[in-house]
Amino acid sequence: MDQKLIKRIKRRDTLARWIITAGGFAIIFCVIFILLLIARVSFPLFADPEAHVVARFQPEGMAGENILASGVDEYLENAYVLTRGGELVFFALPSGSVVRRIELEPPGAGDTLEAAELHGDQVYTLLWSGGAVTVDRVAFASQFDEDGNRTIVPRVERQAELSALEDGEPVRALARVARDGTLTRISLTSDNRLLLDRVAVTQDIFGRESREEIRQAIDGGPDRISALTLDEAGDGLYAGTDNGVLLRWDLSDAREPQRLGRVPAFDDQRQITALTMVYGDISLAVGDEKGGLSTWFPVSDPSRGGEERLRLIHELTGHPTAVTRIIASRRDKSLISLDRSGIVHLDHMTSERHLIGLDEISPLRAVGFSTRGTGLVGIGEDAVMTVWALYNPHPEVSLKTLFGKVWYESYDQPVYAWQSSSSSDDFEPKLSLTPLIFGTLKGTFYAMLLAVPLALLGAIYTSQFARPRFRELIKPTVEVMAAIPTVVIGFLAALWFAPLLERNIVAFFLSLAFVPTSLILAIVLWQPLRRVRALQRIERGYEFISLLPVLILAVAVAFVLGPVFEGLLFGGDFTLWMFSEGGLRYDQRNSIVISFGLGFAVIPIIFTIAEDSLSNVPSSLRAASLAMGASRWQTVWRVILPSASPGIFAGVMIGLGRAIGETMIVLMATGNTAIMSLSPFNGMRPLSSNIAVEIPEAPVGGTLYRILFLSAVILFVMTFLLNTVAEVVRQRLRRKYGQF
Amino acid sequence: MQKYWRRGEPFVWLTGAALTLTLVMAAALIIVVMVNGLGVFWPTEVTQAKFQDGTRVMGEIIKREPLPSGEGDRIQFKTGNRDLYGLDFRWVDTAGIIELDHPVEAVVLEREEYGNFYGFLHEINAPDLDQPAGETLGEQLSAVRQSVEKRQQEIGQLEERVAGLSDRMQDLRLELQKLEFEGYPPESSAVKEVRQRQSLLREDFDTLVARHEDRRRELRQIQATFADVSGTLKTVAVADIVRAYYPNDMAWWEKAVFYLSKLKELFLGEPREANTEGGLFPAIFGTVMLIFLMSLFSFPLGVIAAIYLREYAKEGPIVRVVRIAVNNLAGIPSIVYGIFGLGFFIYGVGGSLDRLFFPERLPTPTFGTGGILWASLTLALLTVPVVIVATDEALGAIPKGVREGSLALGATKFQTLSRILVPMASPGIMTGLILAMARAAGEVAPLMITGVVKLAPALPLDGDFPFLHLDRKFMHLGFHIYDIGFQSPNVEAAKPMVFVTTLLLVLIVLIMSSVAIHLRNKMKKRYTYGTF
Repeated sequence: MDQKLIKRIKRRDTLARWIITAGGFAIIFCVIFILLLIARVSFPLFADPEAHVVARFQPEGMAGENILASGVDEYLENAYVLTRGGELVFFALPSGSVVRRIELEPPGAGDTLEAAELHGDQVYTLLWSGGAVTVDRVAFASQFDEDGNRTIVPRVERQAELSALEDGEPVRALARVARDGTLTRISLTSDNRLLLDRVAVTQDIFGRESREEIRQAIDGGPDRISALTLDEAGDGLYAGTDNGVLLRWDLSDAREPQRLGRVPAFDDQRQITALTMVYGDISLAVGDEKGGLSTWFPVSDPSRGGEERLRLIHELTGHPTAVTRIIASRRDKSLISLDRSGIVHLDHMTSERHLIGLDEISPLRAVGFSTRGTGLVGIGEDAVMTVWALYNPHPEVSLKTLFGKVWYESYDQPVYAWQSSSSSDDFEPKLSLTPLIFGTLKGTFYAMLLAVPLALLGAIYTSQFARPRFRELIKPTVEVMAAIPTVVIGFLAALWFAPLLERNIVAFFLSLAFVPTSLILAIVLWQPLRRVRALQRIERGYEFISLLPVLILAVAVAFVLGPVFEGLLFGGDFTLWMFSEGGLRYDQRNSIVISFGLGFAVIPIIFTIAEDSLSNVPSSLRAASLAMGASRWQTVWRVILPSASPGIFAGVMIGLGRAIGETMIVLMATGNTAIMSLSPFNGMRPLSSNIAVEIPEAPVGGTLYRILFLSAVILFVMTFLLNTVAEVVRQRLRRKYGQF
Repeated sequence: MQKYWRRGEPFVWLTGAALTLTLVMAAALIIVVMVNGLGVFWPTEVTQAKFQDGTRVMGEIIKREPLPSGEGDRIQFKTGNRDLYGLDFRWVDTAGIIELDHPVEAVVLEREEYGNFYGFLHEINAPDLDQPAGETLGEQLSAVRQSVEKRQQEIGQLEERVAGLSDRMQDLRLELQKLEFEGYPPESSAVKEVRQRQSLLREDFDTLVARHEDRRRELRQIQATFADVSGTLKTVAVADIVRAYYPNDMAWWEKAVFYLSKLKELFLGEPREANTEGGLFPAIFGTVMLIFLMSLFSFPLGVIAAIYLREYAKEGPIVRVVRIAVNNLAGIPSIVYGIFGLGFFIYGVGGSLDRLFFPERLPTPTFGTGGILWASLTLALLTVPVVIVATDEALGAIPKGVREGSLALGATKFQTLSRILVPMASPGIMTGLILAMARAAGEVAPLMITGVVKLAPALPLDGDFPFLHLDRKFMHLGFHIYDIGFQSPNVEAAKPMVFVTTLLLVLIVLIMSSVAIHLRNKMKKRYTYGTF
């Protein structure tokens, strides 16, 4: 034979072997790769935040105790300090060279700064030595030159100026300029009095401005105030005292400031040392003498007739020594807190995550946050300035916020909630996966409730009792049923079945009762008939056809009687009756609809696998059992079912996996409301449809995007486990009966 | 009786009842789809209702149901004329109706916008046409429509030329963008040349557009006035009339012809009115193309993997793990595949392609956004297990003796495979392919995040170079159902179209899977006899 030809053939054979082997391994690789890739996208959710030093330098000629505040721009290119002399010094980063000095104009000649209070976006309330108060904002404007290079130009805007108090010397001053221009100042005098100044500028329809000035003393009570804060609008005033009491006032009517409550915050009467409003102006961050850090907001208290009262909501990781200053992020609900020993913590309120702790060699005296939370600046005792870049992409995510109950702002109690977006800016996304997992499980449960009995019993009948002729028809029919696109099932369930069910809900319940009753009735009536020779054929595999009229009749009777019953028992409208009597809401797209829709999709899968494993039980077993005199049901129940049970189990598992992951049906027929109600009359929002709904709107790399990938991982793992169990069981079964 | 129970006969009946219920559910689904889908295009009679107070309502009767109070019935009319009444549907109590009749001269217009019009022809206003032939107004209208259609075709040709020019302008714009990106200064000869070509093209384009506009304006001068049932006149440009017919004056065969013409529009026409009217051609085309592309990827991989498993791999733990992996792939929820497609294909591979080959277009993505390529790759992954399982079973059904015989005659493994085993298993492999295609045709969830859209401006395959546009978004029958059934502003008016689309999709899938199952059963019979 031609050696060349043989060589070529052999070469081809080897080549084919390689290609085919590679193809085989590609499949395993695919499964692992899919899981890894999806998981990789969701991993950064749980990554620890990092802070690394961008710059560290000693500003020229500055002593630590002269520095009141410091800050940095969002690109981490400029940092600044505010000195007692009223000068803002800007440094280029990372070199530390001075780029600009801006003298703040003092209200009185020769005034120096006493205190600076940071609030909002780099806005400072400055208390000058003469007693006057100014509000100044540090702004960084980006400018682009001809080549498109960005330079950042810092500037300072004065937003308001208020003269010194006539009676009393302020030790602390807060001032806010509200969006409508209303100016509010709160002064705490050295003799523990609180004074309110309000300048309201109103404009009438002709554009004439009228100016109204109000000066009012606020009743502060006997406690000595040690910390104060005011919200951005200047309407909500909070104070903490040296014996651990929190006070709250409503200043919206400046003539009559209302005290809204006095809450002893700590049992051990520890002094409250720092207060700040968390971004969004609902929560109050409280730092105390013992280093504790907590957040509070008003919750209506049913024991006091619904009166709103401050409550401890979140307790964050504490400091070793007293907290001296808390600064709220302007991006989310994060807080940085500085304690007396100079340790800085970055915490997120809602997730209660301790993100970063910085204890520098030299204790920090002042800290500042960049606008979008990208960086942090600190000035040490030795006046060394350090700037950190923060890598902190998903501070709001923790295992607790994803799966546990979380007490969100403005809620009366901790809840499981999914609400990923809203129209307002300071909205905090509520990203609990628990209601979604609950929705998935609920939908699956109701679907299996319908599908498992129907599919298994049907499979038993088809494989054991039906005539072979029918079996050859039924099996392909069910397999074709499996091929019906789920979008079609979902559409029919939502737009045809759901309205039908809503109109005939009573008839539906009646048929639940009528169908079994009529079946029993039919069996009883059958007793005399089965003695008739001509009808005996029915018991040889025609039962299911003869039952068709019985079942249809039962459902038809239920539908005729439905409105009658509804009129008699429920006053003509069941859903209305249910709402007024039981307080149960009826959703048109509810669990019953899902039960039928999803059940319809799952039935053929369970049916096919169960039928296969039942028919594959060796016929010798069956023949032996029948030969021993067992009836056909006894044979099925005692012999066939136990042998086929692993296969049936596998079928149910695979059906379960399918129901968990099904998307289109639940997307169309559940109503997609993320509620946790067990009622069959309510809808749900399962993981799968949640992904389909939200992913088009999720920004790539954002928290929501990653959480959706995480929910895909959860789905993957759930179905992976179910399928693997089913497959292992099936392979065992195959080996067991392979020998027959 | 007692013996009857002991023998367990009632349980047999119970299992029978379960089977009956399952089959009834399946039958109900098919019947509902058939009943609602088949009748949509059959012209319904237009009914006129006269009321005691002298007002009238005219339209198609959609349904009749008892009033919630239980006294009397109410009828839902599809009154159309959305531009006059604001709503397409109206509920009417039968109590107030004096008379229901079917005026012979009632005309139904299908229009380009505002849905159907029900009314009577009032007059025709065609200034620059000769007195149209025909005795009655109706005949005149059809004559006018014919000449308008002829002109519309001319305008259509103009439109095509405009589209061609605008494509070329787009190409030039991209070329310019690329040149600029590559750093050619504006005064360089290459850039200048492109700019010159651009300005020449723009002149052509402008004149053509102007001519097109003139023609269109002229055409829109040809108008017809119709009166609704209460006498309100409405003037409609004849060019806006898609179809005009007199359902009360049609014999059954005329209705049949009408039905066929609607079917033709369904298969070949473009959708109108936010997809709720008109044809499904782009959706059908998108579906077919998607399945085709998917098959290109999934079949070779699936068949090769199955051959490896059955013929090359040694039975052992590895093969068992692979089998489990394959069955797992089949069980992974389709939405997870979608997420994978989004994360890996679109943002991963697509994003890299954009950075490598189309950096000048960034940040506008070319491949870094959903498209038919990514959707079909995602579907390919999803359907690979179906192909593997079917091929594996088909190969497994071939008796061992066949292989041994071939090898004994000196054939190599590959020769045995390619000459004996694969041809013998081909019906089984075919089954797998068809089942995979049926699965792909019905799958929607992964497409929703990998590139399907409600209205694609262009087909992924057309006459413009390079003919096959894998980066384009596409339409799909399954998504069409979801979109018009759940996201259209007027769900009630969209329902007929949803049912038609559903019927079409169900038919496609059912036919494909019936063929596959038939093939498989036939093959099973072929190899299950005898013992080797």
